[in-house]
Amino acid sequence: MSTLDIFFQQLANGLILGSFYSMVALGYTMVYGIIKLLNFAHGDIYMVGGFVGLITLSLLSPFLGAGWAGILVAMIISMILVGLLGVLIQRIAYVPMLSAPRLSILITALAVSMVLYNFVMSMTSGEYKAFPVDLGYEGLEFGNVFITYTQIILVSSTATLMLVLHFFISKTMYGKAMRAIAIDQDACRLMGINVKTIIAMTFFVGSALACAAGVMAGVYYGSIHFFMGFLIGLKAFTAAVIGGIGSIPGAVLGGLILGLLEAFGTQLPFIGSEWKDVFAFAILILLLLFKPTGLLGKTEIERM
Amino acid sequence: MLRKSFLVLISLSLACVLTAGSSFAAGEVKVGIMIPTTGGTATDGKDMESAIKLAVDEINASGGLLGKKIVTTTGDDACDPQQAVAAASKLISEGVVAVVGGYCSGATLPTLKLYGEANVPIVIAASNSTALVGANPGIGFMINSTGDAQADTAVALFKSAGVKSIAIVHMGEAYSEDLASIAKQKWEAAGNKVVAYEVVNKGEQDFSSLVTTIKSKRPDAVFWTAYYAEGALLIKQLKQAGYRGTIAIGDGSNSPKLIEIAGKAAEGVYCFSNPTVDYLPAAKTFAADFKAKYDVAPGPYSTLSYDGMKLLADAVKRAGSFDADAIKKALQATDNYEGIAGPISFTDKLTLARSNFVTLQVKDQKWMLHQ
Amino acid sequence: MLEKNKIKLNNIYALLVVVVLAMPLVANNYVLNTFSDVWFYVIVCLGLNIVVGYAGLLDLGYAAFFAVGAYTTAILTTTFDMNFWLTIPFAMLFAGISGVIIGGPTLRLRSDYLAIVTLGFGEIVRLTARNLEITGGSSGIYGIERPFFFGIEMNGSIHFYYAFLMLAFLAIFVSFRLQYSRLGRAWQYVREDEDAAEAMGINRVRVKLSAYVIGAVFGGVAGSFFAVKMTAISPETFMFTQSILILLGVVIGGMGKIPGVICGAFILVLFPEIFRFVGDMRLLAFAVIMLIIMLKRPQGLWPSRLG
Repeated sequence: MSTLDIFFQQLANGLILGSFYSMVALGYTMVYGIIKLLNFAHGDIYMVGGFVGLITLSLLSPFLGAGWAGILVAMIISMILVGLLGVLIQRIAYVPMLSAPRLSILITALAVSMVLYNFVMSMTSGEYKAFPVDLGYEGLEFGNVFITYTQIILVSSTATLMLVLHFFISKTMYGKAMRAIAIDQDACRLMGINVKTIIAMTFFVGSALACAAGVMAGVYYGSIHFFMGFLIGLKAFTAAVIGGIGSIPGAVLGGLILGLLEAFGTQLPFIGSEWKDVFAFAILILLLLFKPTGLLGKTEIERM
Repeated sequence: MLRKSFLVLISLSLACVLTAGSSFAAGEVKVGIMIPTTGGTATDGKDMESAIKLAVDEINASGGLLGKKIVTTTGDDACDPQQAVAAASKLISEGVVAVVGGYCSGATLPTLKLYGEANVPIVIAASNSTALVGANPGIGFMINSTGDAQADTAVALFKSAGVKSIAIVHMGEAYSEDLASIAKQKWEAAGNKVVAYEVVNKGEQDFSSLVTTIKSKRPDAVFWTAYYAEGALLIKQLKQAGYRGTIAIGDGSNSPKLIEIAGKAAEGVYCFSNPTVDYLPAAKTFAADFKAKYDVAPGPYSTLSYDGMKLLADAVKRAGSFDADAIKKALQATDNYEGIAGPISFTDKLTLARSNFVTLQVKDQKWMLHQ
Repeated sequence: MLEKNKIKLNNIYALLVVVVLAMPLVANNYVLNTFSDVWFYVIVCLGLNIVVGYAGLLDLGYAAFFAVGAYTTAILTTTFDMNFWLTIPFAMLFAGISGVIIGGPTLRLRSDYLAIVTLGFGEIVRLTARNLEITGGSSGIYGIERPFFFGIEMNGSIHFYYAFLMLAFLAIFVSFRLQYSRLGRAWQYVREDEDAAEAMGINRVRVKLSAYVIGAVFGGVAGSFFAVKMTAISPETFMFTQSILILLGVVIGGMGKIPGVICGAFILVLFPEIFRFVGDMRLLAFAVIMLIIMLKRPQGLWPSRLG
């Protein structure tokens, strides 16, 4: 492989990895934008999404097969289920905490994360579960750069979901209400917007997206386990911050940038791949030093 | 009022922990089991625990040990050094005469000092990092071969397969880094090249950029030294990216799960492993009994764990007492004890005298012995 | 009435001190070891409490300070054959320096960004320890010798029980003194209203930095003792989850309140041990209890000052 080939292959790798980060980062950023909560349980929602996807898929496969049709239906069903789980968590754990100090809500989110994580661990006794799909390795070759059809379908479905989200937020009434609440909750209440419903809806959408990412990860990588949400939750959080937390295009951009950083990080000259995460975090810190609100975040004056 | 109730709460929990100490019945002797029962390696840990308990049942059924019934107590090390120390001190406090177990090398490592100070012998069934050898105060008896023996097996296989250059990938924890660095040393000492020496993080799923890096360096073989879960993903992604060279994995990856997760990609993959039930004629009854009792097939380290418990019992019988020094002496003097996984004797460093590693290969979605 | 309550409370505190001092007379090794862990977490939680509770700076990478202390002692005692007690000042120094390194650049950041930057620093420290030769790579450093205290080798649970207990007392004392000092009031002011504090002539940068440095020194000392107690340390101990655990202790108990933080450290160590009888579900049980505590008492377990 020539250097140029490697460059393009790593570019493709980075974008695929980045699209996973973006999907999860979107949920982080949406929830943050609307109630200023760093929802640390979000990575675990992604993990639970993977498991719900596995269960629905195995229930459905006798009727629909484990091909793309089965996967699509299973994914939609699990997105709805996990979306509802997100709303449930919000009702139980976050609604009573809205007037509490911000750090307390953060810790509550951490506790929710621990509950989900340990629950799935107990249920699966820590085992890795294989996804019962095998999508083969056929793909397109551009010179020495190789991209499988699965990867193409994956990236295009991520893009579709993001476009739908974009449309939902910018064009529909609910999306407008969401954006309005992020600016001023009290004013919204006075204007007759049902703030509670809209916040619940934000959780629904964010969790459904994370679930979609979880199911896709199961399909694409072929196995899921109870701690798969931990690392990606951390990475998605990082991505959301790089893009400017609270900003929706920022989350997408941040995810892609982080994916690329990591892909090219394994190719660092002089030092080995063991430094790739140090490299990614160092870039993040440097970025925040020069642009404290992230790439697309708005500067706001804040009282703590 | 509130403050008082919290003080009461704290004192209650104090009392709870204080009374959690030992209870002894006459005619019983306690053996500790130290394995992970929580966390990502819990499956293998519980499998080891089941095998040890099976051995204990058999010993008790045939009259116990020096006329006493064996009872076991389990300490969960969670594959984490800090929790392992807590688990070890719990076992020691409960008055165990010896311990069997040890799965993650990194977790076993700091406990050796504790067992040494308390003078409690431990038969280490799975952990095999060479770091354990240096840290052993004369109480740890390793019945799995160390990374040294495994690296030799690996070098021999690569040579016979005509491999000239290899890439090594580990997971950045004690066991896999130890094996990786020994393999690198031995392979380079034999005059060959290691073109890539890489690390992945536990819990990562996407290795595509690493795969691209490896592929661009054109190694004849890739050697994965860590556990099966990430290993399966790496194998799958290597094959997906069109890598067609040899792939080999270490004993931590020996699991049917690897094939289940990697699917067709696992075909032809080599694994260096302690012999598992399928290739041990002596283990037939063990496998049947295990299946009958627990309704699952015995896992990769079950035979060694079973042997560890039986060996301990044998040593106690030879020692004729439960005195720690006598047990240690008897263990050390073990001369070709016939375990179901093969004969056991110890070197002066208390490691297994012979190499127990065999090479397996995936054929038709099954592990087969490679000749 | 209030006066009477106070006397009562003081009696209870005195009783507790006697209980913890006398505990080794009755307790077995396991209990002593568990309580050494309790005192250890009391120290690190109080250290983090200075950063989070007093100065109001969210820190998700506190394990890094504790790692710096542990590694400093481990390297100096093994590679350089230094006496353990002499390594403590170095551990404090290096932890303090890392406090400046982490604190310095983050002063401009809003709280949520502070969270990710401290998290990033924590990960960088852990990964660096994993990758470098001198820190022993992934296996870490093992074979750390037990220290001698006036000729007695500290090799039993009882020795470390008292060592950590004394350190915990020291940490409590220092925390109390700090809370009511000039600096303590400055932290409180900066926490409540940064701009107003600055307008009143408080040097914002110096005050925040000193919180990081003092918090880091607590962690560094605790890390030193941790290294000799464990005799082997590895990067796995200093993962993000460790930082989270310490933060959990601070907030569950009631941040900024010393008895609260101590209470949090107790829960952190004792609950998972108590739940050992439920077997594999013990961490789930612990997590559920954490969640319930947070929902029932968002301000932390320890009640706010009444009246």
